[in-house]
Amino acid sequence: MAEPRRGFREIDHTADVGIEAEGATPAELFAAAAQGFYSLIADPAGVAAKEEISVAASASGWDELLQAWLSELLAEFNLRGFVGKDCAITRIEAARVHGTVKGEPLDLTRHRFHTEIKAVTYHELKVWQEGGAWRARVIFDV
Amino acid sequence: MKTGLVFEDLRKLIPHIVEALFAVIPSGVGGEGAIPKLTKDAEKRLLRDGAKWAVANGYGRAEDLEHTEEGGCLRGADAELISERALERGLKQVGTLGSGNHFLEIGRVDEIYTPQIANALGVFEGQVVVLIHSGSRGLGYQTCEDFLRVMNNAMTKYDIRLPDRQLAATPIRSAEGQDYLAAMAAAANYAWVNRQVIMSLAEKAFLKALDISPAALGFSLVYDVCHNIAKMEDHVVDGKKRRVCVHRKGATRAFPPHHPQIPSDYREIGQPILIPGDMARYSYLLVGAEAAMEQTFGSTCHGAGRVMSRAQSKKHSQAINIDREMERRGVVARYQGRATMAEEMPHAYKDVADVVETMDLAGVSKRVARLRPVGVVKG
Repeated sequence: MAEPRRGFREIDHTADVGIEAEGATPAELFAAAAQGFYSLIADPAGVAAKEEISVAASASGWDELLQAWLSELLAEFNLRGFVGKDCAITRIEAARVHGTVKGEPLDLTRHRFHTEIKAVTYHELKVWQEGGAWRARVIFDV
Repeated sequence: MKTGLVFEDLRKLIPHIVEALFAVIPSGVGGEGAIPKLTKDAEKRLLRDGAKWAVANGYGRAEDLEHTEEGGCLRGADAELISERALERGLKQVGTLGSGNHFLEIGRVDEIYTPQIANALGVFEGQVVVLIHSGSRGLGYQTCEDFLRVMNNAMTKYDIRLPDRQLAATPIRSAEGQDYLAAMAAAANYAWVNRQVIMSLAEKAFLKALDISPAALGFSLVYDVCHNIAKMEDHVVDGKKRRVCVHRKGATRAFPPHHPQIPSDYREIGQPILIPGDMARYSYLLVGAEAAMEQTFGSTCHGAGRVMSRAQSKKHSQAINIDREMERRGVVARYQGRATMAEEMPHAYKDVADVVETMDLAGVSKRVARLRPVGVVKG
């Protein structure tokens, strides 16, 4: 069996966009999902880790927690334009997650913007364990 | 919006106009600052008053409200039900287009199907027209998100089960249902203000780019219609007149002639409907027809609909030069995000002509004119 690797890939969805993320632990999964999320908004290559924000979310169950976590990141983006480069989960359990994200406010003169995300949806939302890996699928409304 | 201008006289100036529009109407991600940042109090007033707030603050004219669905204000809006986060997001986004499939388009009228109706609407062949497609922006997205949580709890409470978790429902007469309608009305009012302000900024951009008088430009609103809204309306169901909640999601209101909610100057022709196609082919101006009241709760289509997912479209777009392709098709395009453009290219959409023709044959809505894009501003 292949080693679980921390990462994400974009998946196809008719009118929206989605990602599938993977990690060896819930912490890795949530960090990978955050990175997938940011890569949809802008090209991460141009984003610098200039400042650090602290983000927390709570919900009942892993699916809902992932939705709440990404929604918090989306709120940081919507309110302050913050886009992340590196993400570290400092504490995670089935009902609560806390993490830090290093990044900077989006600057259209320097960053390559991709797309505006309206919402992190519950549509086909799923967090599951498979072959020793933690995986998730999330669809974003764009 | 229609103008008094003819495309042939303006052909060479289109790039100049598109540039002016792009400069004054913020688009794309985080697009903000079209007008001075609102205070929270002003924002709450506009959520209550809708488009008349915009007119009172110098954006557009009072007669525009006559040509706006619901007069640009849905009654029963309650700004207190809009979360702090949603209010915060709304402060700087009035007058901005946003991203995704939202756009501003300059078109030329290239075919008239029903001359009598076109005439009544002041629309003629070769005329320069403007289409705006945008909505309640971040305030609306956030309100949706906030209420999904409310609805999730309500669904447990009322034992409602749905096939998809992104769907949510609650009895319309429940406290949650009434709150949602009042919050949605506030968001709808924000959307009307947004479009009213964009329209006014677009007029200014035209005036500046062409250096002509408002009278010479002749900019005026034909109609403003919603593409996603729930409203309490009277309809005949099983032979009886009933008050029902009609949710037009990806649908457009299409009231036939003589419906009481149509402005008096359009009463004989039916309510105008704007159907965007894709960025290069065409969009349509329609009017509502009789079968809509009998078969579709007074509704018609909303747009072309996609044939390719965003990811597929992006892949397809890699093989073409987006700018050159738009130019080849006679459209001057200015945009913030290349990825959005790649996802929104015409190949991603069905031919909207088929969609509006189907609606025409069904007697739900009637084609009045076809509009060909010549300039596009996108997020």
